[in-house]
Amino acid sequence: MASIIEASGLKKTFGGIEAVRGIDLAIESGRCVGLLGPNGAGKTTTMRMLMGLCRPSEGKITVLGATPTSMPREVRARIGLVPQEDNLDPDLTVRQNLEAFGRYYGLATADIDERVPQLLDFMQLSQRAGAQVMHLSGGMKRRLVLARAMIGNPDLVILDEPTTGLDPQARVMIWRQLLALKRQGKTLLLTTHYMDEAERLCDMILMIDNGAVLDSGTPRDLIGRHVKAHVLEIDKPLPRELPLAQTEDLGDSVLLFVDEVQSVLEAMPPETVFNHRPANLEDVFLRLTGRQLRER
Amino acid sequence: MNTLINRYAFAVWLRNFLTWQKMVWSSLASNVVNPVIFLFAFGFGLGSVIETMAGVPYLAFIVPGMMAYGAMFSSSFEATVSAYARFQMQRTWDAMLSTPLTLSELLVGELVWSACKGMLSCTAVLVVAAIWGGVSSIAGGLLALPVLMLASLAFAGCGLAATAFARNWEFFSYFFTFWITPMFMFSGVFFEIGRFPDFIQVFAWILPMTHLVEVIRPLMIGLALQPLDVLIHLGYLAAVTVVSFIVALYRLRRRLFD
Repeated sequence: MASIIEASGLKKTFGGIEAVRGIDLAIESGRCVGLLGPNGAGKTTTMRMLMGLCRPSEGKITVLGATPTSMPREVRARIGLVPQEDNLDPDLTVRQNLEAFGRYYGLATADIDERVPQLLDFMQLSQRAGAQVMHLSGGMKRRLVLARAMIGNPDLVILDEPTTGLDPQARVMIWRQLLALKRQGKTLLLTTHYMDEAERLCDMILMIDNGAVLDSGTPRDLIGRHVKAHVLEIDKPLPRELPLAQTEDLGDSVLLFVDEVQSVLEAMPPETVFNHRPANLEDVFLRLTGRQLRER
Repeated sequence: MNTLINRYAFAVWLRNFLTWQKMVWSSLASNVVNPVIFLFAFGFGLGSVIETMAGVPYLAFIVPGMMAYGAMFSSSFEATVSAYARFQMQRTWDAMLSTPLTLSELLVGELVWSACKGMLSCTAVLVVAAIWGGVSSIAGGLLALPVLMLASLAFAGCGLAATAFARNWEFFSYFFTFWITPMFMFSGVFFEIGRFPDFIQVFAWILPMTHLVEVIRPLMIGLALQPLDVLIHLGYLAAVTVVSFIVALYRLRRRLFD
């Protein structure tokens, strides 16, 4: 299948600091791809370069067949962006925000009038169509930003942390609508800090840190490659009789990764305090990017 | 320029208009009442001391100056403080630039919108002054409006250029101290600039405001105008518009995209 986004050797330096140092990526049409990485890993800068909002210092990008910094208007109109920070128009109503965006996309008034109610309905905002944006809850604002990005009926939707700060109900609702967009054949590229979100939505994941791709693949591939299928978190002191092959010391406890869990459970002394769960993307993420806090 | 005045630039203008509509009263207060207060204070206060200037009653002399001041202050304010709020606080510009709309279209929309705010102010001064009997020639007053529009574009362009360089709100205190205040004091709003020492006169001619006042005052008080002089003044205002717009565009292009 044809790639909708292709980037190679992408680099960006801001005043001597390398924010992105050599990212390659290829995204096929109709897929949902997640960029995962700690704060400051270079995810947002990468997305801004793909949108043509930031000129790469080095490297080559093709998005929908065009170079982002000199993208023809027709190509630009096929992309919708959900930015990380909320930049809705606080003084306008919900409906006016969508209408204004329709005009920025160059849509005819008749098309705007047709699309706005559909999008309000899609994001369950019809009841609040006349409300001032400044009176909306965080979840509603986020839904409106998503509806706004869809005004031009884009083929490619770029989402920078679409559900950060939302309650579980709002997140589930947004996930459902993103999966609906995927079923319509749209290509989605998203960043997130939520591993469950990435596992649920993404066909492919790129783990990014320090401006470079650490590894990429399906969530299952990544788990298989970097950790084992089961995780046992065992409180210290550790029982001596355990086979401690792949472990990670957390201080008060130890994570033990194993493929076969039965023999370990049998070898565990009865007084041991432990928790058993399947390995997930978060284990991969922490293994690849380390446990140290990034913003100190 | 021609291709920049299109429906995308209009979309930016319309967005500002819709927002303005919602706070029309507070907006009118600053844009209209402010110059009108000045008009009364100087027209009647100072006018009772100074009987005539340039051969006309002081009130008639000061009305064109107050119209110029209203246009200058409102368009400059909109292109700096208000535009900076959209740019850096509300991030409205970021949202716009994530769509097919280009930076130059965004700036054309902001430029024309800011100039319209200037027109709102000076038109209000004209109406109030006409009712008060301070406008001897209504035709002259109406003829002054297109000149005021051109000058408002020049003021808005300079404001956008300042916004393109501004890193914080404090930056605008320089803009008001070193740009707005001199145009208020040295450009002939209150008295003819011929009364200043030469070096101030040279400086005054750099300011677009001086060229504006120099055209609209004779128009409104019925003095003769040399066509060539008018052409030079209008040409200067047009040049300031174009140059300041290009400076704003290039500065913002580097600031936003590099």
